[in-house]
Amino acid sequence: MTSIVAAEGLSKTFQVKVRDPGLRGAVRALFRPRYRDVLAVRDVTFRIEPGEIVAFLGPNGAGKTTTLKMLAGLLYPTSGRVEAAGFVPWTGGPPFKRRIALVLGNRQQLVWDLPPEETFLLNRAIYDIPEVDYRARLAELVTLLDLGDVLQKPVRQLSLGERMKCELVASLLHRPPLLFLDEPTLGLDVTAQEAIRRFLIEYRDRHGATVLLTSHYMQDVTALASRVLMINRGRLLYDGALDVLVARIARTKRIELVLGGDGGDGHHVTAEALAAFGEVKSFHFPNAVLEVRREDAPATSARLLAAFPVADLSIEDPPIEEVIRLAFARGMEEEQ
Amino acid sequence: MIKRYAALIRNAWLVDLQYRASIVLWLLWGVTEPAIALGIWWAIAGDGSVAGYARADFARYFFAVMLINQLTIAWDSWYLDRWIRDGELNYRLARPLHPAHEAVAENIAYKARTASVILVVWLIVAAAWPAVRLPLDPGRWALTLVAVLLAAAMRFFISFTTGLLAFWTTRATAIMELHAGVSLFLAGRIAPLALLPPAVAGVAGALWFRSMLAFPVDLLTGAVHGADAIVRGLASQVVWLGIWIVAYRIAWSRGIRKYGAVGG
Repeated sequence: MTSIVAAEGLSKTFQVKVRDPGLRGAVRALFRPRYRDVLAVRDVTFRIEPGEIVAFLGPNGAGKTTTLKMLAGLLYPTSGRVEAAGFVPWTGGPPFKRRIALVLGNRQQLVWDLPPEETFLLNRAIYDIPEVDYRARLAELVTLLDLGDVLQKPVRQLSLGERMKCELVASLLHRPPLLFLDEPTLGLDVTAQEAIRRFLIEYRDRHGATVLLTSHYMQDVTALASRVLMINRGRLLYDGALDVLVARIARTKRIELVLGGDGGDGHHVTAEALAAFGEVKSFHFPNAVLEVRREDAPATSARLLAAFPVADLSIEDPPIEEVIRLAFARGMEEEQ
Repeated sequence: MIKRYAALIRNAWLVDLQYRASIVLWLLWGVTEPAIALGIWWAIAGDGSVAGYARADFARYFFAVMLINQLTIAWDSWYLDRWIRDGELNYRLARPLHPAHEAVAENIAYKARTASVILVVWLIVAAAWPAVRLPLDPGRWALTLVAVLLAAAMRFFISFTTGLLAFWTTRATAIMELHAGVSLFLAGRIAPLALLPPAVAGVAGALWFRSMLAFPVDLLTGAVHGADAIVRGLASQVVWLGIWIVAYRIAWSRGIRKYGAVGG
């Protein structure tokens, strides 16, 4: 299978003017401007296969959006090579741009004063979409996104969620095989976020599109992405499945117990008794949470079941946010 | 490409129709400046003339300025400055259509709307006031049309290129303001170039300012006559248009590499 996106040694350095604080600093900067190199993206290499949904993960300023913009041809890399949808993005021109969609959560293409349908019609002309295809695709997108009654309302009267949905429609009418989504759920309420996530999965399944997205919302990543690219300070720290990352970073698992059941009510169980099996994270009868080494989890569970009356037992990974925090902390240690 | 332009112009007009009051304001702005200039020269000329310009000549001149300025003016540096600094350029760069086409379409939409209204105003005034009537000379009108197209194209590239300076500086619109200020005198917006000191008029002719406005205006009112002068004026327009196109190409290709794609 040929990759739809291939980045090799991708780097981007911005020159940023540095200025000392205060009036004196401002005057000095006027006559002798000093510049500092900011390494936004450093030597990033990865490949993405058609149909994958891949999430860029990282704190603000990590280089996620810069990478995305280089892949979409908006930014010229300082060094490295990229091929996306069969083109070098910044020389691909209109044929490349017909094969991608770029959705920016904070910068919208919908014409503010007009109903969204006018932007759709404009894109029909810009992308040379035949009338028949336009009608069919619009109907499909409107149904999938449940947009029935908003097409004729001026964009300025739409809710943020409705606007983002319309933004997706405008960006997908030309049926691009490769989607770049920068914070597509930014600022949306939970219902709207879920609607967008459901839509993206459905759209990928129907049309085999490849999706690259950045997001701050962990739910976006867990619900959508089969794979994550973890970026911090411009470096790619991890590339792979989310659960593998969790397994690698989280050296522990959590055993969640509900005491009681057939073997008695379990009132005699104490925190001290549980501590013999692992670290007690919380104990509020009848609920207890133990943390144990990952590889010990099955055996410890069996011993717990034998030792106590247990109504319910589950083995969980630590919360994903915690894993990510750990991963970034470790990534920084390795760098230093 | 025609379909794309039609769609872009249609959207520009739809947006305009949302803001009827602003159309009136823009129109007033377009009429006020030449009207004030005319008022001043009207008073100065009195019953005599200034450098060969009597009251009726001034009236014709400034009515022509009113029309041709609206047909050739370009606001693109303001739009581009915003696109670049606020990151609105991002989605425009992701579309298979060069952002300059959207700017050209906006220009056509704007010019068609304001110039048509000014033309109507002029016809009404001319019906009542013979001084502002122009001779119906098809050859002259055709030459003026060519000169207006060249001037409009040149002013577009000047404005667009200046707007592109926003890739490097946050003062792109200030540079355009400065240019507008200089052109007030050198392009003939405040007075016919014939009334300027010869040295200043010479600078206006040697640079692009006369080609921007004064030449097409003089062509329309008949102040420029003789095949020689007309050919020289048109040639100067072509040369300066070429120079600004080259400047635009350099600024675009360098700037787009420099672009930081603001936003996120």
